[in-house]
Amino acid sequence: MKSILKGLLPILIICFSIVANAQEQQPMLGQTAPSFTLKAVDGKTYSLEQLRGKYVVIHFAATWCPFCNAEAPYLQELYKSYYDKGVEVFIVDVKEDKGMVEKTLARFNFSFPVLLDENGAVSAKYAPEGVQPDLARHEVPLASNLIIDKEGKIRFYSLLNTTAFDAKLTKLKEKLDSLLNSK
Amino acid sequence: MIMMNWTIIIVPVFLLMGNRKPVPADILKITVPEIVVSAGKKAVIKMKVEIMKGYHIQANKVKDGLLIPTTVKIDEDKNITTGRQEFPSAKKFKLEGTNDFLDVFDGVFEIRIPFKTIEKIPKGKYILNAKLHYQACDNKTCLFPKRIEFSILIKVV
Repeated sequence: MKSILKGLLPILIICFSIVANAQEQQPMLGQTAPSFTLKAVDGKTYSLEQLRGKYVVIHFAATWCPFCNAEAPYLQELYKSYYDKGVEVFIVDVKEDKGMVEKTLARFNFSFPVLLDENGAVSAKYAPEGVQPDLARHEVPLASNLIIDKEGKIRFYSLLNTTAFDAKLTKLKEKLDSLLNSK
Repeated sequence: MIMMNWTIIIVPVFLLMGNRKPVPADILKITVPEIVVSAGKKAVIKMKVEIMKGYHIQANKVKDGLLIPTTVKIDEDKNITTGRQEFPSAKKFKLEGTNDFLDVFDGVFEIRIPFKTIEKIPKGKYILNAKLHYQACDNKTCLFPKRIEFSILIKVV
């Protein structure tokens, strides 16, 4: 019995590390970010194409999403710290009307645009293939964060993981710093 | 040795299956047993709510006004008056990386709703139509808020 357990241990370690790596692995890296043109709460229209040449941080959110709201103050902080370094920050609010989203804005006082993906079509385009196949596609990216580089390629994509929730956006900032320092 | 070979195959398949857990059409089930009551008397509706393992829903009282609290709305009936709903105590769900907690329900719990029938209510069966509104999350997803319709059967004897 002891020898069987001894034999199993390395196999289990390998299996768990494979799974852990798979969970850490980010989807869609290196892919061209799906294009979009969306109206913001401020009434202006923003398209991803117009932002070429800048790093873009996108957070998919809904006003009722507890994890999105927990990140909100840190997104505002990130915007203030990185805007002068050529980083744009956007929230893409999924499937809610302007009135509802404005209520959230009143609390968080975002200085960056909040885009309205009222029919969820943009969010659905960012749902990685094969991830959560049983969910409606627009639901998948909710509470996730992306960095899109100057050429429009996805360089960071963290899907929600509540067991290792990173409200303070530590990993995103690390990646952003490394991208900014490598130019 | 044979046993080890099986383990090599079984363990990764099992773990990968865990990663691709299917999300059912509804992660929440409501059961309300029929209630028998006499005319003019009080009784209690006992709603059994079962939430799929791994999921939680926001409690009936939320600290953050933007969250969707769990609510039960029962259609009015001229013969039956419902009282103050009693929810169980909420559990604390820590938002990792912050000092904040969410108040949530998970597993199986009961919502109790007292009611009273009027004195002149005719004997027979009455159906109260009701709706439960909730918002659920698991460790990988927050599902959009949902409303479930259900019926409460009251037999007046």
